[in-house]
Amino acid sequence: MQSIEGPAARDEAAGDESARETYEPGSEADFERLYRNTYHRILGTLITLVRDRATAEDCTQETFERAYRNWASWRPDAPVEAWLHRIAINVAISDRRHQKLREAGEMVRRLGRPALPPDPSTISERSELVRAMKKLPTKQAAALVLRHYHGYSNREIAAALGVPEQTIASRLAAARKQLQAVLGR
Amino acid sequence: MSDFESELDQELHRVLDPVAATPVPARRAVHSRTAAKTIAGGAGAALGLKLLTAVAVAAAAVTVAGAATTGSLNPIEWGQQVKQQVETCKSQLADGQHGIGDCVSGFASQHGASVASDARHHGDTNPHGNNGANGGANSGGHGKERTRDKASIPKAG
Repeated sequence: MQSIEGPAARDEAAGDESARETYEPGSEADFERLYRNTYHRILGTLITLVRDRATAEDCTQETFERAYRNWASWRPDAPVEAWLHRIAINVAISDRRHQKLREAGEMVRRLGRPALPPDPSTISERSELVRAMKKLPTKQAAALVLRHYHGYSNREIAAALGVPEQTIASRLAAARKQLQAVLGR
Repeated sequence: MSDFESELDQELHRVLDPVAATPVPARRAVHSRTAAKTIAGGAGAALGLKLLTAVAVAAAAVTVAGAATTGSLNPIEWGQQVKQQVETCKSQLADGQHGIGDCVSGFASQHGASVASDARHHGDTNPHGNNGANGGANSGGHGKERTRDKASIPKAG
């Protein structure tokens, strides 16, 4: 059994009862509860990492599929949400790779044709910042969203992603620097 | 925290907080891909098809061989025919004449030769495929020859 730590403190302060949830590895009911409690946070992360909302939703489902397959072997010695985020970031990296291939194919098909207008349903949710974050390397963007949206400390991000804390500090610094340049701040 | 970092916090919350207001969709069902692949596709399917083909070929070979052996696709039917022929041969025996071997052998060789021919066309390479088929009653090409020879020898008694 395990309780969410770290960024959950922010949720707890906000009155989120799910912060105190405990989970039993392999339990079907607990996984469903985990899904309900963490879906929006994982989706929020993925919205900043992949190209659009629909893809983010698809990647969120993929994240939970992968998590479900390994649910029985999940070890409660690490925060479950950090585990989910690690899976989600890998899903996003994989999606970005495939996206590059798809874009190359699309470019070949569209040669000589006028570009399609942007989808109005996705414009509203694309802030200048989020658009700029999507152009960052996935791991840098992930560090940013975990730090500035979910409220993880550098140490928690490092533990979640399985890298040294200094690596996270470097990624955050590089990401901020690039964003400042892109956004003209 | 610098101004820029505060701005990052605020902007991310402005954009992403509304996401939490949306309903949580039903979780996508996880399919057992490995099991499905084993049954329906991939190497499992190819192996299954080969196995099925091998069984079908073996069954066909047994059928042809059986037909070559019995003179009929139905062994029971052929057995009845032989039995009937034995009775006929007995009834045809003249007074003082003994043995129905030649008579039955002639019948057997007629049926056996035709079916053996079919079997050879199907790749049966056994030239003695009909031998012993009728309980040693001289069948097939060999039986025919011997039948003729025997028929030419007057029986004693």
